[in-house]
Amino acid sequence: MMRRTLLMLVVLVCVLPVAIGISAQDDITLDFYFPTAVDGPIVSTIEGYVAQFNEANPGITVVPSYTGSYTQTRDTIVAEGMEPIVDVAVMLSTDLYSFIQEETIVPAQSFIDTMDDPAAFVDDFFPAMLLNSRDADGTIWSIPFQRSSVALYYNADLFEAEGIAVPTNTEELIAAAQALQTEDRAGLLIPVAGGFPTWMYQAFAAGFGQPLTAEDPSVVNFNSEASLDAVTFLTLVGTSAEDGGYGVGPAGGSAWGETPTAFLAGQAAMIYHTSGSLSNLLNNADFTVGVAFAPSGPEGPATVLGGGNMYIFDDGSKTQEELDAAWAFVEFMSSPEIQSDWGVASGYVAARQSAWDMEPLASRVEEFPQYGVTRDQLDVAVMEFSSYDSINIDGIVNSTLSGILSGEVPLEEAQATLDTAQAQIDGLLDAYR
Amino acid sequence: MTSERNRWSIVADVLTGLLALIWLLPLIFTILMSLRPSNVPITVGNIFIGCGPFEELDVLCRFTLDNYYEAWLVAPWLQHLLTSVLVVIGVLGVQMITMTLAGYAFAKLRFRGRGLLLGFILLQLMIPTGVLLVQNLTLVRELGVFDTRWALMMPYWGTAFGVLLIRQTFRGVPTDLEEAARIDGANTLQILARVYVPLSLPTYVAFALVSISARWNEFLWPFIATRTAEVRPLTVALNQLYQTTEVGAQYGELMAGTLLVIAPLVVLFLLFQRRFIESFASSGIK
Amino acid sequence: MSEHLPEKTRNWSVLTPYLLVAPTVILVFLFTVYPSFQTIYQSLFQPGLSRSDPPIFVGLQNYVDLFDSTHFLGSRLMLIFRNTLVFAGATVAISLPIALVMALLVNRRVRGLALWRFSFFYPTVLPLIGAASIWAFLYADTVGLINTVLRSLGLPSVNWTGDPNVVLLSVTVVNIWKQTGFYMIFYLAGLQSIPRDIYEAAALDGAGYFQQLFRLTLPLLRRTTLFLLIVSFTYAFQTVEHLQVLNQGNPADRGNLLLYFVFQLIGSRRNLGYVNAITVILVGLLLIFTISNFLIFERGGDDDQ
Repeated sequence: MMRRTLLMLVVLVCVLPVAIGISAQDDITLDFYFPTAVDGPIVSTIEGYVAQFNEANPGITVVPSYTGSYTQTRDTIVAEGMEPIVDVAVMLSTDLYSFIQEETIVPAQSFIDTMDDPAAFVDDFFPAMLLNSRDADGTIWSIPFQRSSVALYYNADLFEAEGIAVPTNTEELIAAAQALQTEDRAGLLIPVAGGFPTWMYQAFAAGFGQPLTAEDPSVVNFNSEASLDAVTFLTLVGTSAEDGGYGVGPAGGSAWGETPTAFLAGQAAMIYHTSGSLSNLLNNADFTVGVAFAPSGPEGPATVLGGGNMYIFDDGSKTQEELDAAWAFVEFMSSPEIQSDWGVASGYVAARQSAWDMEPLASRVEEFPQYGVTRDQLDVAVMEFSSYDSINIDGIVNSTLSGILSGEVPLEEAQATLDTAQAQIDGLLDAYR
Repeated sequence: MTSERNRWSIVADVLTGLLALIWLLPLIFTILMSLRPSNVPITVGNIFIGCGPFEELDVLCRFTLDNYYEAWLVAPWLQHLLTSVLVVIGVLGVQMITMTLAGYAFAKLRFRGRGLLLGFILLQLMIPTGVLLVQNLTLVRELGVFDTRWALMMPYWGTAFGVLLIRQTFRGVPTDLEEAARIDGANTLQILARVYVPLSLPTYVAFALVSISARWNEFLWPFIATRTAEVRPLTVALNQLYQTTEVGAQYGELMAGTLLVIAPLVVLFLLFQRRFIESFASSGIK
Repeated sequence: MSEHLPEKTRNWSVLTPYLLVAPTVILVFLFTVYPSFQTIYQSLFQPGLSRSDPPIFVGLQNYVDLFDSTHFLGSRLMLIFRNTLVFAGATVAISLPIALVMALLVNRRVRGLALWRFSFFYPTVLPLIGAASIWAFLYADTVGLINTVLRSLGLPSVNWTGDPNVVLLSVTVVNIWKQTGFYMIFYLAGLQSIPRDIYEAAALDGAGYFQQLFRLTLPLLRRTTLFLLIVSFTYAFQTVEHLQVLNQGNPADRGNLLLYFVFQLIGSRRNLGYVNAITVILVGLLLIFTISNFLIFERGGDDDQ
């Protein structure tokens, strides 16, 4: 029974590809994974781009798969004993060193160098967009595709009615939140509860003067003074005034998914969220949605980049033709034309400067200047957390932040907790220094 | 005496209704939420149905199927349904065969090492397959079935529980019947097919319902062992629906999707309530 | 040809039992026994820094790390371990009494039996991930049902999945809601196997309902209760899928459970040694309970033919 089944499987596994190979001999087939975590029609939008590419490139067939979750898709790619099961994928830009360590990706640089005008290609990207694509030596490994940043959304009608100016630093942020909050309406929701506070925290760590990571992938600054200031600020936002906090949001922060929902329902005057939420908010709000640079620091705005880049995977078994085909697809997806369309369809920040002068994005920005804010904000953006062993370090940072923000660890012990976490992080990074 | 009994009986009735209500409320509110217009979130004093100022219709409250439509667009549900059905059938079909063969041997045949082999099989009950996530993942990769429906079925083809259940049932089948068939020239497989299986149908039905529920509802293993939409079951699709909350949780849509996924088994259960309950009961009593 | 037949048949009949059990035995070996040994074996190694570096034999170091409270995983494991015990214990302590009450209520001559049975049992046939989706809506902080109801009543809302002191309770409630109906049917079966005339005799002696319940019914259900204690306790170690939707183990692991922790760690190849070591601990725990289950219920099951 078992043998027969196994035999059957072997036959299936061996014969099918051969059969397919015979029928379409010269075709290169590329598996493309896109774990885009935004709503509905996005899947068909991407499938539309792929169809466009396949049409224009006879001999190459890209097979798109919507895989749902960044982390889980990554997990399969980097886990033990796994040859890359995919040819091209949109993955978190922060996973760069995981993929390098697992020896599963090909640097985009190797393709860029063969272009007619490499500099023109590279320079068309906003410099900030490439921060997470480069390794410490400056080599470009991945190409920005669906990029976002932390932004401040505000209920512009409320601000106008109350005659309050849009905040540009943390002090004004709290003042505005306190002025606008009522019994049924939170002044400010920052989604640091549950899941993954690390991203929001990074905007504030940068704002208070020291980003979590910089170019060197073996250095993480988690117990810096800025880090403590950032965590303290985020905690105080949800701490009631009687307990010495600002008392403008729920204790422990809000949950990621509910934050825009509460904002749309009029239950929050301001929220921090991804720039990727812009289209959703504009389409569904019955008030004017304002977007501003995230006022994450005492001196002024600061934000952190996020989102996904395109990687080309190879364990050394691919032919040059296959690699070139993969690059052709990546280049197509990062082209200004697609980026312009994608920016409108999804709300992600188009990564190429020329995309903003093209339709449909140009007229969208004209109609909704809010889109322009997420672009201009790139000037105050820092790179997203990225390091060796980033999966475990991300786990430590998340869990430590979650402990302090949820009130599990009192603020007086925050510094000691950060120090403990830093020691664990350094323990992991020592192996790479 | 009688009036006191009546009084207790009323207390019991009230308690029954209360408990049932508590248990039903999540389902009731899920249905209500799934029918609520997405621009009318639940708020204080407005939790049951979508009520609000609908200028265009001039009505106070209304239901909508939009959430179902939106949820429907998020994933290729029919594809996921097909996978779920294929996996359930593919597991159950093979289980039926392996457990019948082994169950018969353990029930009716004497052979060296019988106790040892039975004990070996029982290890499966002590170490649940679901706990060995990492190693089974490595295994399906080595077998070359990662990210196929086979990966979802293979770990469950052998079933210690099924073997025990069938062994128990077959023991109750008189050996006379088997001997009569053997005199007629039937071989073991024919005897199983003609004598044992027909007499044990209720046990098979009981096992089938438990097996179907278990596989239909499984999430962690399919989530790990598959990657592409074509071979992912409904439970994983439901989780993906949940992942779309990156830009804001649309609970109406989520509840609609949840109902789409749970409906088949709940309806099946409604139709075969007694059968289901008896089957699940047999999963513990041996 | 034909003269060989008898001998061939005899050989076959000696082999028959082995051929019949072979598929199951092979499958159990492949997907239970072999992976178990691999788990133990690989728990003694640390993976290399890069994929091409070979794993390093470290003996029991992974276990030492996991019980070291300064280690980046060890500092989490103890809490998660404790959570798991609380989760399992609370599930048992709360769901079994309710299950018994449900069984007693449903085991009466009562109108609408089908409805009551459906109400209690339907969560059992839901996928846990589906049950979690439902409860995620109930638990949502600002736009959730329970908090909206609380606010409607003028009560303060509770951050069900975000408050470190509440999250484990929230996670447990979902499990209780889902499992109680399942445990109810075992009590129901137990109740129905008690002969009527025992109660009639007791009634003649003037024993009231509660006297009968405590003196007769409960003692007679002792075996069922013991069985359910073990089953529900071990089951609780495996029912973690709802965490994926509700809280993903947060905040700060206060709502995390052992098997879900394993699932979270699978991501990094660098953790492979630890993941296997935790699995060994988890399986070891389960073995203790299931073996005691077998000793109590299965002994003698095989020698009665």
